[in-house]
Amino acid sequence: MSATANVPESSVLSVGAPSSQGLSPFRMGLARVKQNRAAKVAFWVVSFYVFVAVLAPVLVRILNIDPYALDREAINDFGLPAGPMGGISWDHPFGVEPGTGRDILGRLMYGARISLLVGAIGTLLTTVVGVTLGIVAGLRRGFVDALIGRLGDVTLAFPSLLLIIALANPMTQRLESWGVPAGNTARITYIMAVLTLFGWVYMARLVRGQVLSLREREFVEAARSFGAGTGHLVFKQLLPNLWPQIIVFVSLSLPGYVALEATLSFLGVGLLAPAASWGIMLGDSVRYYRAAPTYLFIPGVTLMVLVLAFNLLGDGLRDAFDPRSDRQQL
Amino acid sequence: MKMRSKVLAVVALVGLVAGACGGSGDGAQSGEESGGLSATMDGVKEGGTLYVLTNQEGASTLDPQRVYTGAELGAWGSTFTRTLTSYKPVAGKDGTSLVADMATDLGTASEDLKTWTFTLRDGLTWEDGSEVTCADIAYGVSRTFGSEVTAFEGPQYAVSYLDIPAGDYDTGSAYPGPWLATAEEQALFDEAVSCDGQNITFKLQVPVSDFAYTVSLLSFAPVPEAQDTADQYGLKPFSNGPFKVESYEEGKELVLVRNENWNADSDDVREPKVDKIVWQFGLDETVIDERMLADSGDDKNAIVYGGILPENLQTVFGDESLKDRRTDGFDGFVTYTMLNIKTVSCLEVRQALWLALDREALRTASGGPFTGEFATSFVAPLLAADYEPASLVEGLNADGTPNVEAAQAKMDEAKEKCPEVYAKATEDGLRFDHPDTDTWRKNIAIWIDSLGAVGVKINDNPIEASKYYATINGDQGDLMRAGWAADWANASTVIPELFGQGGGFNYHNNEEDPAFADFQSKVDEAKAETDRDAQSKLWKELNQVVIDQVWSIPGSATKSQNLVGSNVRGAYQWLPFGWYNLGAIGLAG
Amino acid sequence: MVFFVLRRSFFAIVLLLIVSAFTFVIFSALPADPAALTCGKNCRPEVIESNRERLGYDRPLVEQYGAYMKGIFAGRTYGEEGSSIHCSAPSLGYSYDRHECVTTLIASTLPVTASIALGAFVLWMAIGVGLGTLAALKRGRWQDRVATAFSVIGVSLPTFFLGLIFIMVFVIWTGILPFPRYTGLTENPVDWFMSLLLPWFVLAIISAATYVRMTRNGILEVMNEEFVRLGIAKGLPRRRLIVTYVLRAALVPIVTIAGLDFAFLLGGALVTESIFNLPGLGKLTLAAVINSDLPILVATTMVSAVFIVVANTVVDILYGFLDPRVRVK
Repeated sequence: MSATANVPESSVLSVGAPSSQGLSPFRMGLARVKQNRAAKVAFWVVSFYVFVAVLAPVLVRILNIDPYALDREAINDFGLPAGPMGGISWDHPFGVEPGTGRDILGRLMYGARISLLVGAIGTLLTTVVGVTLGIVAGLRRGFVDALIGRLGDVTLAFPSLLLIIALANPMTQRLESWGVPAGNTARITYIMAVLTLFGWVYMARLVRGQVLSLREREFVEAARSFGAGTGHLVFKQLLPNLWPQIIVFVSLSLPGYVALEATLSFLGVGLLAPAASWGIMLGDSVRYYRAAPTYLFIPGVTLMVLVLAFNLLGDGLRDAFDPRSDRQQL
Repeated sequence: MKMRSKVLAVVALVGLVAGACGGSGDGAQSGEESGGLSATMDGVKEGGTLYVLTNQEGASTLDPQRVYTGAELGAWGSTFTRTLTSYKPVAGKDGTSLVADMATDLGTASEDLKTWTFTLRDGLTWEDGSEVTCADIAYGVSRTFGSEVTAFEGPQYAVSYLDIPAGDYDTGSAYPGPWLATAEEQALFDEAVSCDGQNITFKLQVPVSDFAYTVSLLSFAPVPEAQDTADQYGLKPFSNGPFKVESYEEGKELVLVRNENWNADSDDVREPKVDKIVWQFGLDETVIDERMLADSGDDKNAIVYGGILPENLQTVFGDESLKDRRTDGFDGFVTYTMLNIKTVSCLEVRQALWLALDREALRTASGGPFTGEFATSFVAPLLAADYEPASLVEGLNADGTPNVEAAQAKMDEAKEKCPEVYAKATEDGLRFDHPDTDTWRKNIAIWIDSLGAVGVKINDNPIEASKYYATINGDQGDLMRAGWAADWANASTVIPELFGQGGGFNYHNNEEDPAFADFQSKVDEAKAETDRDAQSKLWKELNQVVIDQVWSIPGSATKSQNLVGSNVRGAYQWLPFGWYNLGAIGLAG
Repeated sequence: MVFFVLRRSFFAIVLLLIVSAFTFVIFSALPADPAALTCGKNCRPEVIESNRERLGYDRPLVEQYGAYMKGIFAGRTYGEEGSSIHCSAPSLGYSYDRHECVTTLIASTLPVTASIALGAFVLWMAIGVGLGTLAALKRGRWQDRVATAFSVIGVSLPTFFLGLIFIMVFVIWTGILPFPRYTGLTENPVDWFMSLLLPWFVLAIISAATYVRMTRNGILEVMNEEFVRLGIAKGLPRRRLIVTYVLRAALVPIVTIAGLDFAFLLGGALVTESIFNLPGLGKLTLAAVINSDLPILVATTMVSAVFIVVANTVVDILYGFLDPRVRVK
């Protein structure tokens, strides 16, 4: 968002952190987060989603619902849910999908796996690439730095959403011709690749800024004077101080990626049927929004709650590790 | 106390909401409805503006040589593009008979049916007052050959029928079309389509008994060479009918206004009533339905291009007061699934696929009985003369549900008789090509599920909708989705096209099937048969052959429903085109 | 100073060239065949081949790119002799799907997108800055909490979801607003305004969320600056202090970022235009994706990039004026 974040000097002077003597910045940040009620709730919500996503196959069996089975009883002759409220019943706690009668709760659970998978791996890749390039740019300076910087400028000049959508089908075909398993595997690979391609810039810039300020610090100079190599420098000196920013960035990008996958599937360029992506369900729900509004609401709210939880968690983490904005009193 | 009232309030709310969201599907049945009052001319007044509401972004094209959508063929033909012959402007089966339009009669054919002559009437004029000449018609016909512009978008009968030598151009002809032709090449065309005063003569390379029908297609409509803007002609065509194009903007609207230079005396087919026709593009489907139901203001003078949403069908057909504003009937299309006879060369496997398929679920997924009836022929019911329900594979359930035992029995037979195909179907899986649309994403799940019950694997291959036919042209899957309607009221545009040798839409690769040789010779016989009744009999027999061999699995004879505003009159379903006779519609207020 | 401006402008032009080349390569190197679209239902592979040749798609990429760039400055003729169509400069290509010069299409859709972007911009600045200022001034109190809650929720809402909810609530259920159908400003100003109201709010709410946070933090930071403290110590009236000094200082970075966001939006709010059926650049692009209409895709990508690069350059130059240190980088 705004300018580069400096390493908080206030990690020592932090407001309200109990027994701050001797704790690493990481530990102290963590303590501060625990005090933030909103962030704590958000953490539990996120954990719940992850739990459901991971255990989805087990859960559907326990609840006796099936995201893929067509239930002809639940829909009427027109393909619309037979029961009220979009077909909510004991058999189908969240209703059924118009047209096929598939269970919505089951599909939501499996959709969670896809959303979180895409979000997690996408963020992981972006972070790895961004951190690497940021460190390289910050340490090397000069030509390499300028090159990476220009590369970032060029990347940012492109209208990302437009390109992602425009290239979705052709690029997926290209991937398939290179041997990636056809269908949704290729689709997901494409989405991850393209997220990384456009997302690395922010992470890289953030990290570069940090590295630039860190390298002037005494402990780095000290390590250098002891003959420490670049590897040691990176892993033992820089990264431990970068973790807070990285964690904050991760928790704030993840929801964006989840929302992006949903948007792409909504527009029809994300995953393919019969995958149970939330985006696909939302895209499909549009034509039924009069007859079965629950089909729009339930997946929509589910998506929104997850994104909201991640954002709250990220905010809490950022406030905890970088409380600059809260220092001032009027 | 407080708790209870809360619960009651919630229950009441649920009840309200439940009532609002339609529950069961009883009450509304699908049948044949021709529109009641709205299909008659009772109370029609001259003048007014007719609105056409549609969800589409634009027309497919206004260029007569490039249009191939049934509704548009009828719409443009009845308003701004006349042809030598045309269909009778009446509802019902009579509407499928030909009448003379720009010609004086239905043409004269030579003994061998290879030379056809038509004479132009007097008084045919363009929108600028100039005369429509024989040369204009010849020029129009020649445009189809110019595939760098017309891009194979319209019917290709000019190319396949006219007596022009074969050559290296993309169409397979030696004539490249009017824009590229050298003097010698143009001469080739001028041999085949020649003018002598008001007489136009067509020389054909094959005998065609129903050529009078062929020239009713807009691809045989005249275009003045001086006004031809090639690729952009479809944005502003020149009119010789009662209406002309005032403006056309994709995504916004198409405005047709009256053409003062049209002579009513020269036209027995068109009786325009309104002053203006305005197509509004890009409207939300839900909004269209709501406006039509509300029927207020200008919407009383509106019709819809695109049908009614499935969830509103209950409302429309359950309400008796709407009887005079709604139509329900076959639209002339039959959907089916082509099978690749080369790769799925085992009859038993094909029969098993048909028996195991849950056609009922497919129909429900696309909206239920209103979307169509299970097809019993590849010829649509609308094509009354050539239509006859075939006797289907044994064991097929009439209600569309799968017959798993019969299907399994066939598969077991197949295991013995054709083990390679059996192995392919159960282990590798069969590739299903289909357009990538919302409906198909649901349909494919049903295919996978129901065929899985007998062990057949289906590999989903969605293809971008706009490139679907071009793609399967080059590379056929094992199963391919398709839909077809006759180009004119004769199954000669169905059976040979879809299943015959060299048929434009024959992707079955069925030449090597043992039954093919006999089939093809019968097709040739039918095409040359001049006795219409005898010909009909042959088409019905040929249809039965296809059904017996299961070269394709018939899907639905699709239906469409429509709603018009309360002032609309003359809005009857024009059978050859599956939509209204746009130019004939009038307003009663 | 002048040198600085020249340098940034030169860099911008180089960047645009790189972007245009990249765009061209990306779209040309796809398995999707630009030639395939030039052929209808009855198409055959041989036809596509010859179309490719005719339209020059089989030429080396460099040559194609050169011809394309030349077309931008000198206009270009498409098609064969006898049926050719000329697109005058700046020619961004010819769409065989829409049968129009791409420049014509973009020119007709841009006003719509500009209307959307402009209105949304005004609204999100008003809401974002307004709420952010309120949150900063009433720090810690309920106004602050509400504003922050709004901010977090707004950021979490996917655009398409909010759009659909709005339509459901305002059009279907309550009928307060008619279903948006775009009318030009010149045709009927009132209808124009009404048709854009919902899209403006959808975009504004989501964007404003970020600006609430930014404004709040920005103001708080400035509040802590020396000169503000001095002002308070001197006894300047609080209101005057805030309006005259604090806001101005805090808003500079915010307005510049808003400018960048606005430029981004000019590239077409794809999702919003699609949901509300507004015939703008975004909808043109989406239709082009569905139809694989590559000339339009290449052109809209480039046009979008132009907006982004120009906005960035302007911002950089402005910063150069404001902060001399930047100039000597």
